[in-house]
Order: sequence, then structure tokens, then C-alpha cells
Amino acid sequence: MNRLIRACCLLLVLAWAAPLSAQHDHSEPGHDHASHAGPSRTVPWTKEIVELAESLPVQDGGRVKPLHTFAGFTLLRMNGKRSVKTPTGELLSPTEWLLDLLFFPDLANTYAMFRVDDIAAIREIGGPTEGKQKRDRWSYSELHKHTGKLFDLANTYSQIDEKARDSVQTQVVALAHNVDEYIRVSRKTAFAQSLLPVGAGDGLTKIFGGREQVRFSEVIDHVDELRALQGDLDKDPARAAEQGPLTELLQRTVQIAEGSEAVAMFPPTVDAKAQPAWYSPSDLLMSAFAGDGRHSEHVAMLGFLEKAMDARGDMGEFHKSLAGFAGEAKALARARGEYEKIGLELVYYKSKLLDYSHYGFVLGFLLVAFLWMWPQSKWLYRVTALSAGFSVAAIIAVIVMRCMIRERPPVSTLYETLLFVTGVGTLAALVMEAINRRKLALSAAVVLGTLGIFLANRYEELDKRDTMPELVAVLDTNFWLATHVTSITIGYSAGMLAALLANVYLVSRLFGIRKSDPTHLKSLSRMTYGALAFGLIFSVVGTILGGIWANDSWGRFWGWDPKENGALLICLSQIVILHLRMGGYLRDFGIAMATAFGGTVIAFSWFGVNLLGVGLHSYGFTSGIHTALWSYYIGQWGLMAICGVHFMIERAKQEAQSGATHAQQPAQAPHSTDGRTA
Amino acid sequence: MRLIDAFVKGLSSLWLCVTLLVLLALLTWLGTLEQVHTGLFEVQKKYFESIFFIHHAGPVPIPLPGATLVMGVLFVNIILGGIVRLRKRVATLGVLTTHLGIAFLLVAGFIKAYHAEEGHLTLYEGQRSNVFESYHNWEIAVLEKLPDGQLREVVAPELTFTDAEEGARVVLTSKDLPFSLEVTRYLSNSRVLPKGPMFEAPLPVIDGFFLERQEKAKENEQNVAGAYVAVLDPQGTGRNEAILWGAATQPWTVEVGGKTFGVELRRSQYLLPFTLRMDDFIKEDHPRMTMAKSFSSDVTVFEGSTSRATKIEMNEPLRSQGLVLYQSSWGPSNARPGDRLFSTLSVVRNPADQYPLWACIVIAVGLLGHFLLKLFRHIRSEARGIA
Repeated sequence: MNRLIRACCLLLVLAWAAPLSAQHDHSEPGHDHASHAGPSRTVPWTKEIVELAESLPVQDGGRVKPLHTFAGFTLLRMNGKRSVKTPTGELLSPTEWLLDLLFFPDLANTYAMFRVDDIAAIREIGGPTEGKQKRDRWSYSELHKHTGKLFDLANTYSQIDEKARDSVQTQVVALAHNVDEYIRVSRKTAFAQSLLPVGAGDGLTKIFGGREQVRFSEVIDHVDELRALQGDLDKDPARAAEQGPLTELLQRTVQIAEGSEAVAMFPPTVDAKAQPAWYSPSDLLMSAFAGDGRHSEHVAMLGFLEKAMDARGDMGEFHKSLAGFAGEAKALARARGEYEKIGLELVYYKSKLLDYSHYGFVLGFLLVAFLWMWPQSKWLYRVTALSAGFSVAAIIAVIVMRCMIRERPPVSTLYETLLFVTGVGTLAALVMEAINRRKLALSAAVVLGTLGIFLANRYEELDKRDTMPELVAVLDTNFWLATHVTSITIGYSAGMLAALLANVYLVSRLFGIRKSDPTHLKSLSRMTYGALAFGLIFSVVGTILGGIWANDSWGRFWGWDPKENGALLICLSQIVILHLRMGGYLRDFGIAMATAFGGTVIAFSWFGVNLLGVGLHSYGFTSGIHTALWSYYIGQWGLMAICGVHFMIERAKQEAQSGATHAQQPAQAPHSTDGRTA
Repeated sequence: MRLIDAFVKGLSSLWLCVTLLVLLALLTWLGTLEQVHTGLFEVQKKYFESIFFIHHAGPVPIPLPGATLVMGVLFVNIILGGIVRLRKRVATLGVLTTHLGIAFLLVAGFIKAYHAEEGHLTLYEGQRSNVFESYHNWEIAVLEKLPDGQLREVVAPELTFTDAEEGARVVLTSKDLPFSLEVTRYLSNSRVLPKGPMFEAPLPVIDGFFLERQEKAKENEQNVAGAYVAVLDPQGTGRNEAILWGAATQPWTVEVGGKTFGVELRRSQYLLPFTLRMDDFIKEDHPRMTMAKSFSSDVTVFEGSTSRATKIEMNEPLRSQGLVLYQSSWGPSNARPGDRLFSTLSVVRNPADQYPLWACIVIAVGLLGHFLLKLFRHIRSEARGIA
């Protein structure tokens, strides 16, 4: 709707400014303003400038976030990682890259940062392939001559259903999206590079003091006078000659602002409820021409950006101008109550707590391997526990920070389920370890932590979107997110931990690990049961709470929607296992097999049903998950099949031995190693 | 007596419980996958609201019990095995409580399945109504304008004439009508076409038009029913035939005994105990996005001589006199700023509306009690082991 309104305003301005021949196209960043191309950056961005730029508030994806976050995800989408290497070998952070794109576009155009996974896509658009590998990166300079064909092909391929596209078509569409976004982002400061011609005429001369060229900010500053001039010219046919220069000025102003709406960096001067949407330079122009008035703060901000553009060869002057812009932007954002979380979000991303948590788990994973070789080493045990404890604390801190930034409960997106499942699962495993101190739960914790954060990182890399997005209307309820979603995710977490422990049991049994210790398998079985029971409580309660939420939102408790069915399948599988255990129908090995299978049921409910593409819960990013999910299914079922065969052979041998013993000692009772759990 | 004992024992057995749970899981899984090919409504009817059905695993037909039968037997199993025959001890108190909660949840499900009414009320801003209509069910209504200007309706619900779908001739009669209505054919999804000179119509042509059978849509709401009907006068001598179509804008009019009647095929309609006026529909987007942040309808509820203004929004339905009204949809989707909008409210009358909440509390208490007791015992035994 906002876009529609903006488009209508744009049309109004264009209509007012007389028919235009100019039209926005995918013109080359930097080159459309080549007449005013500035100096090339010869020294690295200073730390002060980068830190200042990182903390700038921007409105993107419906929320206010630091420029650092915006730059990070934009670069991730285009480059597949959050850094870029320049042709001179300089490694740029996302913000440094964005500063280059905004203020040194000619330089940024030479950075090979469009990642393409299949070189055939580049061949298809006629781009350069010499010296490139199958999966490689291209710069905008290499692609710009081929953007016409790229957009044409992407337009054609977009008509094909996403699932039916082949690899080349997918790559072409993705590349077109990235190039388009690159061009749009680069145009954000295009206005600051341009000088607008002031033609002849008393009116314009009076307004601009006889200057021949003015800046964008000055046009906005004098918008009321320009409107008045237009009114005067309409009434006075004798001044018809002045109409041409005025029209040209307005046309050029509209032209340089057009395309700058990619990111909004100008907070409105009014209350956030009255005007939630921030402005881009284009919006400021529309708003001013629509008669909504101009605000000195915005004119000043535009002026600071223009000064920064002029001073881009001089880091000191540039910093001064950028600081002026930042001061105004932050003051306005603070007045609207939209700046409080910027600092925390910066800390969240820059502290890299999630990475450190991952390192801790990986270290723990390695230490656990040694621990099993030297099980008596208390020193090794403590270091491993410390490493795992640090990682769990770090991931919990990550979850808490996200809650504070978003003012939401811990889980509201598919990405957050991965963090939360990892956090809760590893914490539960450490609690188990604290209770029985047999190294088993500690081992499970580091494996779960390593895998969980790896999957979360992969998800972020594949999705390439802000992991703190705004929510659709039905999810905009902290009460149900805190109760239903949190419960069900704890259920996933405990269920996956149980499945992991069950797999440890199966592998131990398969390879005869610690065969001499009779308590080893028994402990694993007990822990599996504990995790299963813990998971069942949360799965059942979470599922019913989901029904109650559905009853409040859609008017029915249960609708047999795939996600609801997935949750029911988890509950049923866990109830069946516990009942079979209670009745003595399943013993340790059977429970381990069933619980391991239960892990695949959880995976089906967690991600699998989203792949079906039907139902009310078809949310979240899913492409790329299919392969991972099927790898897990096949791996798990394969292991179960091997363990099943092994178990049967083992039992047959025992029976044969038992039969032989029986023949010699008929009075001895039959013996089974597969005792029933307590 | 022994036979009864054995029967009760079988019905309350753990094996039966496990078998039923596995069957329910299987049905849930099959029904989930089937939704990709068939719409939710059809899947619900086939897998979850049936007693028996045939599942086709490729070319192989497999007879399976429907979820209704499975859950019915499970209910009996829980009552007998999980409550009545369960040993009553401190250790089983949690299990007993949990079983009570699950039984109560199943009761809620059965009440909802057999006693709930569901539909929607779609109103443009400024419009008012005291009628909501079903998403799925159809009815044939005979309308008669009374001398005082009021409209009298005689309604035949879909169940009374669905046999006509299989080709059976169904005659509907009412003491309030001076004629009977014969339904010769009923099509659950159809369209009306004019008969051309170059082709044969598959079904009878009336006044140059015929009904063409359509594949059932995946979303049941998109199906438009049609029927061939005939008004038979009391003497059985006269026969007046017509086509009724669910998307027709006007009823078919017919004269019988000097009186004019309107006959229409429409979605089942239910009366609200109040009148509702749609004052304003508000869709708020997230800033600079087309993604909706919230939907809400400002409405006025007129009950007798009183009226009250209220807001219905996502997750905040209106509950009144046993009915619950939810914000469901809106349109037109191509509306421009300033256009008049309509809002669709889902309406549900469910006597067991809040039962799941109570069941959830009971189950949570039961499970927590049971497993905390187990955990406590486990920790104690571990402590003993360490000591």
C-alpha cells in the first residue's frame, strides 16, 4: 500500500512538473553520475567512520535496525558471506563495502561480489567466463553490459514455478535480484552527487540567488517558493519562458531522487504512531511537493550527506559531515523511541557470541573424544564441562539478547527454533550430566550444540534474510508465542536430545563401546527416558495450547493442518514409546530404536511439513532444507537398520550359546543381556 | 459373563491402546501427505471424519479404519483401561489425571464434530446482517412473500437431497408448501452453460441451458453446487422444471396455486441472535512493506434495544451468546486507497469452545506430577548410588 501511495505521489509530482521524457532504468551505479564522479578512495576507512556508519539507524523490512545489520544481510545475499575482498586484497566489512558503494561506486563496481553457483548462468547472459571457475564471483563492472539480457531472462524464468526451474534458471533469477538490489542501494546517495541546473528566469534567480547550479537539499529547502512560483507562472502567460527552466529543474530533481527509496534513513519528525514509515530522499521530495511541508532536520541531513559526498577524499571532513547526519538521524529516532535497541543489536552482531558458542561446542566435541580415551582424567572432564558450559551460557545470552531486541519471546521464526532447540537441549543435557556425571550427557550436549549452531548458521546463509523480521498479523501475539511456540519448541528440543542419546546407545551397542561397564547402556537408556518424558510434557501441552490459539484465531481447535498433524505425530510417537516401555513390550534396545525413529518424526514436524507447501503454517524459508532433511532421514533409518540386523545376529548368537549351556546345565535359567529398564 | 470380562479386558488393554495410537499416527501421516494432492476438506472427510475408508497406496487399495472410529474406541479404552481399571495409588495419580484430561479432550472433539456450526459473515463497511452462512454446506430454500411483506422460508438442508448426486430421485415435501419439490440431479461442483447447436449436452437442457459437472476443487469453498429440480403440483399432474445453481444471483420463481414462490440453492444460512454492523475495516501494514501487521473490524452489535461498539481483530475474537466471531479475511484484494472494503468474519457456535483449555490444564498437571515424581525418585536413587 505504501509503495502504491508513493507511486501515486511520484505521478503527482511528475504531472505537476510537466510531461517527462526521463525514465528510470537500471542505469549503472556511479556512471549515471559520472559527470560528478569523485576521487577514488586511496586509504582505508577510518575506525571512527566505520563505527559511526554502523550505528546509523535505518528502517528496512518494517523495522528500525543499525546500518551494520542492513549491510551485513545485503552483502550476504549478494556475496554469500559477510565480507568482500577488493582487487587490491583489502578485506572489507559489510559497512565498509556499503560505504564504498554509496560514496565510491566506481570503486565498488570492481569488487567481485556477485556469487554465482553455476557459471552456465553467466554464459546464458553472455557475461565473461574466462578464468572463472564453475562457482565464482563477478563484479558489477563485469556484469553491467549484460544486465539487459539478465533482466529479460530473469523475467522469463520468473514465470516458471520455482520448483520447476533448473539450476541455471534459478541462478539467473537470483543474480538478477541481487544486481537489481545492488543498483537500488547504490542509488541511495545518487542525489548527493548531483548538481541541478538552475535555468534563466526571474523567479528561479530570486529563489536561488542567481546561482547556476544547486543541490538536491536546496530544492527541498525552497519547495514552498517553487510551488508559489509555479502558481505565479500559471497565472501569468507573459512569463511562459520561465516555465521551461522550472520544469527542467523539477524533472532533474525527481530523476536523481528516483530509485533512492531502497532504504529509509530519514526518521519523520512526528510521533512513531502517527507516521510509522521513515523517509528516503525520494519520499522527502514527494512529501515536500505533496504539500506536507519540509522539515529543517531533513534538509540538514540531506545537506550533511551532500557535504560528505563532496569530502569523500578527505577522511576527516567526511567524518565530520557523517557525524552531522548521524547526530540528526539519531536525535529524531530517539525522540520517536526507535533508537534504544540499536546499540544492543550492534553488540549482538559484533560480539559474535554465537560464533564463540559454536567454537566452544566444537572444542568440547574434540575434548570429549579425548575424554573417552582417558575417562579417568578429571582435569579433562572439567575443561570439557567448562567449554560446554561457556557455550551454553553464550547461546542463552544470544537468545536473551534477541528477545530484548525484538521484544518478543524466544521463538517466532524457523531460524529461532534452531537456536532455541540447541540452547534448551544443551542446557538439559548439562543438567542431566550434573545429576549423574557419567560423561554421556556432556557428550550429547557438545554434539547437539555443534550440530545445532552449524544448522542455524547454514539456515542463515541459505535464507540470506534478516533473522529478526517483522511478523505476519496472526503471529503478532507475544502471549501465544511465549506459551504455545515456546512449549512446542522445548518439546522438539527434548525429543531431539532423546533421539541423540538413543543414537549414542545404538552406536555403543553396535561397536561394543564400554562393553565391560554394565551401567553404561543402562544410564543411556535412563537418560533417553528422562529426555523423552520431559519432551512429552512440553509436546502435549504445546500442541494443545496451539489448538487453543487456533481456536482464538481461526475459530477451530483442530483443523488437521499439516503442522498440527506433525505436532500430533510427535505426541503420539512419544506416548506409544512410553506405553510400550511401561508394558514391558519395549526394552532398552527397542526404546532406543523407537526414540531414534522419533527424531525423524520431530524433523518431519519441524521442517518436513513446511516443505509440503500446504496449510496455514507454510512459513519460513525451505529451499535447501529438502536435501538436509532427507540426508538425516536416510542416515537415521540406515543406522537403525544396521543396528536392527546387528541386534538380531547378537541375539541369535546368545541364544545359540544359551542353548549350548542349557544342554550342559539344564537347570540354569535363560539369560538375556537386554534387561528391562527400571 | 466370561465373554463380557474378556471383551472388557480386551477393550481396556494396553495393546489395544498402543494399536489405536499407532493407527491414529498412521492416519495422521497419510492424511497430511494426501493434502498435497487433495484439499483439506476432502482429506478431513475421508481420513478423519470417517468410520472406514479405502486408502490407495499407488494401485493397491488398503482398507483402514477412519480416525473417528479409532478415537471413539480409544476413548472407551482410556475410560476402561486408563481410568476405571487403573490401580489407584500415589504413583499412578499423575497418569490417572492425564487420562482424565485426554478423555475430556476427546469429548470436546466429539461435541465440536457433531454439534458445532461454522460459517462466515461477510459485510461491506456500513452493511449490517443477522445471518451467517456456511463455508461448506448447501440448502434449497423456498421463499414466499407473505401479505404483510415478510419473507417466509422453507429450507431443505443438503443432507436431505445428496442422494440425488448418485442419480436417485429425491422428493422434498413440507406441510408449509402447496407443492413438492423433486430433485432429480445434484452436482457438488458445477457450472451453467448454454446449449449450442454443435454439441450434445451431457445433462438435460432446460430453457437452453444445462449444468456441466466440474472436478471438485481442492478448496471446498470454491465448489459451486447445482441441481435439477421440478415443482410438482399437489395433484401430481403439473411439472415445472428448472436448474438451480449456487452462484445464481436471483432465485428461480414459480407460480403454484396463484402464489409466487422463489426457489434457490444457496450456502446454508444460520441466524445470529443479534445484528452486527460493520463500521470500519482496518488493515495496517508494517512500515514500508506490503506485509500486514494487523487486521481489525470495528463493529456494532445490536441486541434488542441496546447496541455496543466493539473491535474484532486477529487473536481477539468477539464472544457473545455462545457464538464466537473471528477476523478471517477481507477484500476486495485489488482495492485502491479510499475504496469501500468488506470484512469476512468466521462465525462458530461450539458448545465445547473452552473445554480444550481446561483439558490442557488437567493434562499438564497430570504429566508434570507423574514425571516430577519419577525424577525425584531417580535423583534419590542416583544420590544413594553416589553415596
